[in-house]
Amino acid sequence: MTATTTPLVPYRSQRVAYGYFAVALLLFALQVVVGLWVALQYVVTVPQAIVDVFPFSTARAMHTNLLVLWMLLGFMGATFYLVPEEAQAELAWPRLAVVQLVVLTATGVTALVGFLFGWTQGKPLLEIPTPLDFVIVAAALLFLANVGLTLYRARRWNAVQGTLVGGLVFLALMYLFGMPFYRNLAVDWYYWWWVIHLWVEGAWELVTAAIVAFMLIKMTGVDRRVVEKWLYVELGLFLFTGIAGTGHHYYWLGAPRAWLWVGGIFSALEPLPIMLMLWDTWRATKDGDRALRPRLTWIYVGGMAILHFVGAGLFGFAHTLPQINYYTHGSQVTVSHGHLAFFGAYALLNLSFFYFAMPRLKGLPGARYDERAGHWGFWLTTLGVLGMSLAFAVAGVLQTYLERVRGEPYMVAQEPMRFWMLVVFLHGLVAVAGVLITVTHLLTLKPERAAELLPVDVPAGEGAVRSA
Amino acid sequence: MSDRLAKAIFWIGTLVSIAVFLAMTVHTHQSFDALTHADALDAHVVAGKRAFERHNCNDCHTILGFGAYYAPDLTRAHARLGEDGVRRRLEAPEVVFADSFRKMPQQHLPAQEIEDIVAFLAWVSNIENHDWPPQDSQRRWKRSTERLLSGATLTPAAALVQQERCLDCHALAGTGGNQGPRLEWIGGRRDAEWVARYVADPAAVSPGSRMPAYPNLSEGQRLMIGHFVVSLAAADRRAP
Repeated sequence: MTATTTPLVPYRSQRVAYGYFAVALLLFALQVVVGLWVALQYVVTVPQAIVDVFPFSTARAMHTNLLVLWMLLGFMGATFYLVPEEAQAELAWPRLAVVQLVVLTATGVTALVGFLFGWTQGKPLLEIPTPLDFVIVAAALLFLANVGLTLYRARRWNAVQGTLVGGLVFLALMYLFGMPFYRNLAVDWYYWWWVIHLWVEGAWELVTAAIVAFMLIKMTGVDRRVVEKWLYVELGLFLFTGIAGTGHHYYWLGAPRAWLWVGGIFSALEPLPIMLMLWDTWRATKDGDRALRPRLTWIYVGGMAILHFVGAGLFGFAHTLPQINYYTHGSQVTVSHGHLAFFGAYALLNLSFFYFAMPRLKGLPGARYDERAGHWGFWLTTLGVLGMSLAFAVAGVLQTYLERVRGEPYMVAQEPMRFWMLVVFLHGLVAVAGVLITVTHLLTLKPERAAELLPVDVPAGEGAVRSA
Repeated sequence: MSDRLAKAIFWIGTLVSIAVFLAMTVHTHQSFDALTHADALDAHVVAGKRAFERHNCNDCHTILGFGAYYAPDLTRAHARLGEDGVRRRLEAPEVVFADSFRKMPQQHLPAQEIEDIVAFLAWVSNIENHDWPPQDSQRRWKRSTERLLSGATLTPAAALVQQERCLDCHALAGTGGNQGPRLEWIGGRRDAEWVARYVADPAAVSPGSRMPAYPNLSEGQRLMIGHFVVSLAAADRRAP
C-alpha cells in the first residue's frame, strides 16, 4: 500500500484558520481564570473597597464575553478551514481573513478593558457598547463576503457547507436584534432571546451539525450521502423544536399566557435532535472503514456528543416545563444547565475541531500527535466542569426550595448555598488546570513518538485503513 | 429513510416552527402594552432603564428572572422594599450591607439617577407576568397575612400600628404606602428586639434611614410592635 498524494491540508488558504484557533485558545484560558474569581465571590466576603472598583458584574461580563468571543473565533476559524476543502477552491481573500482576525481580537480586547472602566451597554452577555457593535458587524460582513465569494466562485454546493453558511448568516442576522435600545424592558428581553436562544438553540446548532458532519466524513470515511441525509433530518428537528422553543424564555416576562403552552411543548422536544446527533456520531464510527485514531480526537468527539445531550438536552429539559420553571427560573439551576450545556456542546465542539485541524495545519505525519498531556487536559476539564455543574445544581435546588417555595429572603437562602459554591470553586480549580494543560498541549502539538507509529500502517491521508 | 423524506422533514419542520413563532410574536406585541402598562412608561422610567444599564446592575441582579444570580431579583423589589428601601440601597449600599456577607458597589449615583431608577423599578413591579417570582407572589402575600390579620387587628400591638400610622409608609396585606418595606417582609430577616430598637431610633441602627424615630413609645410598646411585625411573616418565611 502506498501513501496517497492528497496532502492533509489541500488548500493553502486553509492555513489562516490556525491563527483563529490560537487566539481562541488563549481567550478560553483567560475566560476560565476569570471564572474562578467569579465563583470565589460566592464563597468569601469580598471587602467593600474591592467591590467598589471591581464588582462582580464586571468580572461576570468578562467571563461571558470571553466565552462568546472565543467560540465565535473558533467557528470562524473552522469555517475558513472547512470551506476551501468542501468547495475545492482557495478562499477568495485569505489576507482579509487575517485582517478580520486582528480587528475582532482588537475589538474584544478593547471591550474587556472598557468593562473595567464601566464602558458597557449594560445588557447581560451583550455588554459590548454600541460603537464596538458596529465594528463587529463590519467584521462579520467581511467574513460572510469572504466565504460567500469563495463559494460563489467555486459553484460547488453541498449540504455540509450549506448548513454551515446558513447557520453563520442566521447567527449574524440575530446579533442585530441585541443592538438597539428598547424603551420597554419586556420587549427588550423578548428580542434579547432572539440573540441568545436563537444562537445556542438555532444558529450555533447548525454550525455544530455542519462541523461534526465534516469531521465524521473526513475521519471515518463514511458515505457522504448518508451523513448528509441525516443532516437534513437533524436540522429539521433542531429548527422545529428550537425556533418556537424560544417560548420557554417567555413564560414570566410579561408576555401572553399562550407562551406557556408553545414554549412548554416545543422545548420538551428539544432533546430529540441532540439524541439523533449522538446516534449519528455513533453510527458513523461503526460504518466508517477507518481506525478511530488519534484516540484523543475521538474522545473529544464522543465526549461532545454525550455531554451535548446531557448538558443541553437533559439538564435543559429538567426545568423547561412551566410548572417547574416557575420555581427554578433565574436560580442557580439555570447556571448549572448553562455551564454544562455550553461546555458539552460548544466548548467540546471547538476543542474537537481544534484537535482535528491543528495537527493537519502543523503538517504532523498522518495527522497524528503525541497525545499524552492532552488526555489529562480532557479528563481534568470534563470532570471539573461536570462536578461544577452538579454542585451548581445542588445549590440551585436549595435556592429553589428555600427562596422560591418557602419564601425566605434572598440572602437567607444564599447562606446554606455557600458550601456548594465552595464545591463549585474547587471543581473550578480542577477544570482550570485541565484547560491550561489542553491549551498548552494544542499550541505545542508534537509528532507522535516513534514507538507508537510502528504498529500502524502507512497513514493514508486521513489515518490508517482498518483492513490494512 | 429516503433523501426526499429527509429534505421534507427539514423544510416542513423549519417552516412550521417559523410560522408559529412569528404568529406568536405578533400576538405578543399586541398584548405587551396592556400587560406591561405601557401607558405608565414615561420618560422618567426610560431614563431609569438607561441608568440601570449604564451601571450594569443586571450583571449582579436578575430582573424578570434574567441576568446574573449574585443578588436578589428586582422584578418586585419596589413592592418588597418600598421606595425608600430602594433609594437607601442605591445611595448607601456600604451602610445597608455593612453586615452582609455579600456587598453591593458604591457607585456614587447622582440624585436624579436614583430617582429615575426608583421610577423604573416601580413600573417594572407592575408588569403582569403570571405572578412570578413565587417569593413575591401577590397571591401568597395575601394568603399568609389575611388569615393573621383577621385576628391580629384586635391585639394591642395592632392598635399601636394603627395609632402610629405605620401603614402611611408601609404596606400590609396589599394596602398601605410604599415608602418603606412591606411589613410582612421584615420578619423573615429580623427578630422582635431588632425591630424594637429600630423603631426607637432608625438612624442609629441604619444611618441615613428616613423613617422617623418613635421616642414617644415605651420600650414595652416598641417590643410589642416588634413581635407583631415578626408574627406577620408566616412561619415558613422566617429565618431559621
